Amino acid sequence: MRHWLILISASLPLCAQLARPIASYDIRATLDADKHVISGEQTLDWVNDSPDTVPTLQFHLYMNAFRNSRSTFFRESGGQLRGDRAAEDGWGWIQVESMKLEDGTDLTARIQCIAPDDGNRDDCTVIEVPLPEPVKPGAALRVRMKFTTQLPKVFARTGYSGDFHLAGQWFPKIGVWETKGFRRAEKSGWNCHQFHANSEFYANFGDYRVELTVPSRFVVGATGELVRRTEDAKRGTSTYVFVQPSVTDFAWTAQPGFLRFERMFEAAKQTTQEELAAAARLHGIGIEDVRLSDVKMIALIQPEHAEQTERHFHALAAALKHFGLWYGRYPYRTITVADPPYGAGGAGGMEYPTFITAGTSYKAPADVLMLEIVTVHEFGHQFWMQLVASNEFEESWLDEGFNTYSTGKIVDRVYGGTSLPLMVFGRNVWSWLRLPKLTQASMDRAAHVGYPVRDPLATRAWEFYDGSSYSINSYSRTGVALRTLEALLGEETMARVMRAYHQRWRFRHPHSRDFQQTVNEVSGRNMDWFFEQFVFGARRLDYAVSEIGSRELGEPAGVFEKEGKKETVTAKDARKRDREREKRGGKAQHESWVKVERLGDGVAPQEIEIRFRDGHAERRAWDGAGRWAKFTFTRTAEVESATIDPGRRYLLDVIFANNSRKADYNTALSTQWTLRVLFWAQNAMLWLTGLV
Amino acid sequence: MLPLIGFWSGLERARGRKRMLALYWVFHTLCALGAALPLMAPAVRQLGRSRLGDELMRQFDLAWLAEVYSVAGEAAAPAAVFAAVAAGVILLLGGVFLAGGAVPMLAREEAAYTPEEFWRGAGRNFWPFLRLALYSLNAYAAAFLLSGLVRRGAEAVWGEGLEARPLVWAGHARLAILAVLSGLISTAMDFAKVRLALSGSRQSLRACLGSLRLVWRHPGVMFWLWACFAAAGAAAAWAYVELAARLEGGGAVGFVLLVLAQQAYVLARIGLRFAAWGAAAELDPILRPLPAPEPAAAAAEALDYQI
Repeated sequence: MRHWLILISASLPLCAQLARPIASYDIRATLDADKHVISGEQTLDWVNDSPDTVPTLQFHLYMNAFRNSRSTFFRESGGQLRGDRAAEDGWGWIQVESMKLEDGTDLTARIQCIAPDDGNRDDCTVIEVPLPEPVKPGAALRVRMKFTTQLPKVFARTGYSGDFHLAGQWFPKIGVWETKGFRRAEKSGWNCHQFHANSEFYANFGDYRVELTVPSRFVVGATGELVRRTEDAKRGTSTYVFVQPSVTDFAWTAQPGFLRFERMFEAAKQTTQEELAAAARLHGIGIEDVRLSDVKMIALIQPEHAEQTERHFHALAAALKHFGLWYGRYPYRTITVADPPYGAGGAGGMEYPTFITAGTSYKAPADVLMLEIVTVHEFGHQFWMQLVASNEFEESWLDEGFNTYSTGKIVDRVYGGTSLPLMVFGRNVWSWLRLPKLTQASMDRAAHVGYPVRDPLATRAWEFYDGSSYSINSYSRTGVALRTLEALLGEETMARVMRAYHQRWRFRHPHSRDFQQTVNEVSGRNMDWFFEQFVFGARRLDYAVSEIGSRELGEPAGVFEKEGKKETVTAKDARKRDREREKRGGKAQHESWVKVERLGDGVAPQEIEIRFRDGHAERRAWDGAGRWAKFTFTRTAEVESATIDPGRRYLLDVIFANNSRKADYNTALSTQWTLRVLFWAQNAMLWLTGLV
Repeated sequence: MLPLIGFWSGLERARGRKRMLALYWVFHTLCALGAALPLMAPAVRQLGRSRLGDELMRQFDLAWLAEVYSVAGEAAAPAAVFAAVAAGVILLLGGVFLAGGAVPMLAREEAAYTPEEFWRGAGRNFWPFLRLALYSLNAYAAAFLLSGLVRRGAEAVWGEGLEARPLVWAGHARLAILAVLSGLISTAMDFAKVRLALSGSRQSLRACLGSLRLVWRHPGVMFWLWACFAAAGAAAAWAYVELAARLEGGGAVGFVLLVLAQQAYVLARIGLRFAAWGAAAELDPILRPLPAPEPAAAAAEALDYQI
């Protein structure tokens, strides 16, 4: 113990402690690469920083999700995730061999599996251990554990494939003790969820020192900084020591075939003085506060992807720069991206503190930005999940959704749109066919529009209607909701909101309401209506212009009061007056009307733009509360068109096409498109008749 | 040289059949309209009065496609699938019928096109050609099976490995094998149609097997003949895509030119189809010389002459 404290202390100048450590680990683990088994010993130092007396401990044993087909993870996922299916013979598990307190008290026999989320007796991804003596407020506890982890054949995030190993969620990890009020908890207790098909992250900050022993031929990458590597030639093994303070987790990878590359993110070269000044001005802080720091970027690349190495570094640098300028500098000294091989795609696109996995493929075309999107996105989790350590189990939108919003902004800004892969003999013909590039914003909105609004964004990950609802809401729909919020508040205000939220909750654990509070405070506006409906509620936003029209107002006919006498104007007289007015060149008055409708159950204040044939335009406000509203106008010109939400701020609106209506049907448009479709139909039919 | 001779001769024969080309174009266009109009109805109905129409329909807006699907797609999907299947069946039967009229016209260079002759051929050859089409399905199925075996073999050898490279190259090989085999089968069926049309025979199976045997005996000629047509088709597609890219966004005039380019491309594809039949008619007697008349038959011919 003393030894590793010295090491941590020695490395402090390199990686300063940034958060108060609550759960710190000193782990020694050895990989049996043939059996894919990790044997480990760990010392956990846990601090009860609550005012409660804690009678038990709870630990995640995530790897037991892969123990059999009756685990909660398997029941929820059906043994497949993100398109990858579990191998028939690739089970994984974790066994706690022993658990002792520092005074030698053996807790092993007291360990029992619990299932706090669903009561599944076959699930053992959470264990509880009653303590002989409760932990008093402010007291520290040291627990020594021995464990064995059998990695599963990878299909969902973690495991092995051939000689590739990705060890994520591989050691017994203590849950989070939430005292009443902490992250708005209603009562004190352990927050230690089972391993579900979707979501997995929520942990206290701590300092990690991990000693990994693997066969010497393996190339290793991990969370944190490598402080020492020793080789045991006799046994043919190497031991790597990684240290990282102030993180919430530790993951690592090992494979002999990795190509290892390093580049420095040199902050001074990557950012201009103007960019720093603009960021400082926007946030009202000093330029030193926005200045970024240098970061060592490490890439572990598959040999057959070697030509893509610089794409990873470019994406990492873009992410380091923009996340840093927007939300605050990346505080760690390294970031490692590991590229899983073919057959281990399930381990790709994952995020762990200072360590992420990529998502790419052999000869990935340069105009298909999947590699860049995945790398930027997974890096983004360093900010939304790791630094702002929200509870992904319960509020995945704060993690995946915020990251989708941030990733989209960076990718669209740095790279523009992406092509989709339309591969013919290894060539992507998307660009050749001149098909337009797709932006992240457009793809997110397409996903939002294409899937019914069934669940609030703030739903516990395992309580969504289905897997699609989880992913659409947690990722795309949140991205669209935040872009809507940005449009409502203004880009600069939103930038201040996001930075303020990040800075306020950096190294802490926010709740959705904390973001709401930050929005209201920073913007100076009460946006509760937005949050209640579209974050905590599942309201569908759809406004439409349902009708527009005009009619000419001729001279009036009938009986009128004039100077106390009744005067009758016959229809003939009225028509005569009309003709006289026309002769004089006078224009008739028109009564125009615009009817707008609220088709969804979401309510939002609206603006309506009405255009007239003489070029005049007017705007009217509507609180959007009623089912419909009618606006009438009396002008010489007829109404030409009406548009509700002309600035298209409400990206959450599920149908933009009905947001406007023109008096004249656009025949040219429909003809053009029918002819285009006709051409493609002709071609399809020629293929068919070509067969006979 | 034979493939090139066949290719040019096929083009020459197709060039002389403009009225038939027009008939084919009308048939495909009518069928395409039948599919395009119902498909576009919900989209243009929604956007015809929308100010966002021009913007949303500019090329390819994923969010708008999702909107159309969410508004009309789910409800319309079963009907659309039914309509597509029905249209496909009608189209295939129509295609067989028209081929029955077109192939004899292309096979007999000297025959002048008359509607009566065309429709007579269409009626006469419909059933033999339809049977031929059904027999050809077996050959196509065999090609797919073979390419599937290549895929399975590749997966068995490299599927558990950590490299995608061999599987990707195996995929390219599989696609190439499938394309070449399909091309050769299609060429064989062109020869079979010509054989049926010229002989007046109704023995489709015999024609199918005979033509496949012909391909087997002359694989080089058949491959390069198919390659000539494949290259011509690719060149036409390339020319269209390049031209269309320049015409896009060119206002009303640009759009009219684009439509003309599209229809020219469609006509080019029909023309190539005709040319393939013409090439088969040109090469069939060269690759498959008719047997010399038997002595008895020759004597009978001489007797007839004397009478």
